[in-house]
Amino acid sequence: MSKNENITNIKIENLDLWYGEKQALKDISIDIPKNKVTALIGPSGCGKSTFLRCLNRMNDLVRICRIEGDVLIDEQNIYGKDVDVVDLRKRVGMVFQKPNPFPMSIYDNVAYGPRIHGLSKSEVDERVHKALEDAALMDEVRDRLNDKAFSLSGGQQQRLCIARTLAVKPEIILFDEPCSALDPISTSKIEDLILELKKDYTIVIVTHNMQQAARISDHTAFFLLGELIEFGRTKHIFEDPQIKSTEDYITGRFG
Amino acid sequence: MVRERFSQRLEDLRSEILEMGELSQKMLVNSVQALENIDLELAKNVIEMDSIVDDLEYDVEKATVHLLALQQPMARDLRLITASYKIAIDLERMSDFAVNIAELVSKVEGEHVIPLAEIKTIVSITQMMMENSMKAYAENDAELARATAEEDSQVDRLFYSNWQKLVNLMIEDAALIPNAVDLIFVLRYLERIADHACNICEGVVYIATNQRVNLN
Repeated sequence: MSKNENITNIKIENLDLWYGEKQALKDISIDIPKNKVTALIGPSGCGKSTFLRCLNRMNDLVRICRIEGDVLIDEQNIYGKDVDVVDLRKRVGMVFQKPNPFPMSIYDNVAYGPRIHGLSKSEVDERVHKALEDAALMDEVRDRLNDKAFSLSGGQQQRLCIARTLAVKPEIILFDEPCSALDPISTSKIEDLILELKKDYTIVIVTHNMQQAARISDHTAFFLLGELIEFGRTKHIFEDPQIKSTEDYITGRFG
Repeated sequence: MVRERFSQRLEDLRSEILEMGELSQKMLVNSVQALENIDLELAKNVIEMDSIVDDLEYDVEKATVHLLALQQPMARDLRLITASYKIAIDLERMSDFAVNIAELVSKVEGEHVIPLAEIKTIVSITQMMMENSMKAYAENDAELARATAEEDSQVDRLFYSNWQKLVNLMIEDAALIPNAVDLIFVLRYLERIADHACNICEGVVYIATNQRVNLN
């Protein structure tokens, strides 16, 4: 058991979310531990991605979205009036389903964040190299840092996006189905990387791949129709779930 | 119902285990009957049935690998598959012991040293344990499994009392040694069959409750 086993990094209390009239999240309360991988699973439309996007206020961009309840990161309510959303998203990075590198060079993609946060040229250079190393991409791009990011394979592009996230030194990284567009080899590289990254970051990952959740996460949350049905250690959720709908879902009998 | 094919394959696996259970029970009953009546034909029949059980065990092994590799089972399904594979190994061993009993039939010289009726109690408890362990498996009944395994202590007691009786006979009359030794082996096989029935009961408890228990 690691020293951080019992430290809550993200605390969600009684979270409700509506898109217009439709309630997409219902009274969600959950403590996400620090330096652990927490997987969010559930059928399409269950609210897991919506929930993920609450953690760095990406839902602010949806005009008809209304949120009640508290999301506390290190005991600070991120929906508080004095919270700077840009600063929040620096602390809480996000990697999306499809790799989305910027139309610029490999180097500039990673340098983008540090530059807009005003770092000096040498500091930026240091951050880029460190981020590419940490994202397990450096060995593959060392001699082509000025090539276009789109010249990379899908798996490499996704690791580039992870490097871009790491370069702004977040505390938490949100992954929204990061491997759904990748082949099994690229997937296993990303999974290894996530296991490596949890030493330094708290990770929350949405995945439709149950085996992936079982392989890489420490805790798993099962969502259904906007509700959090069951949350616990991944081993317990996959070996002996306590709630029938969880068991029906993970054994593929849901429908 | 989604995953119909998967559910069907799980059902097929269960059916194969139940079939193995029925065959092993039949082999036990027939082997003891063959021994009692010195019925060489029936003993031969038991020995021949062994290959059917062996083939079923191989089928269960294939089905297990197939289900694990292709279906990624979770939770109760995963427990059912892994425990069933172990149960198949127990059943195969049980049928081997029945074969061992059947193989002794041709060795009996003259009359049995004690009337076989005296070991009938241990036979009937062992057979009941086999039957109930398979019933518990079929019905996913952890309580029945626990209760069935409790009978094992009675089998152990009967094994030791009969063993002692046979040892005394051998001390009194060395001419009885060949037949008495064979009967000691029979008792030992029965006692081992009951132990394997306990293993099956442990598997049933694991499938039904996710609890690892030692019932032996």
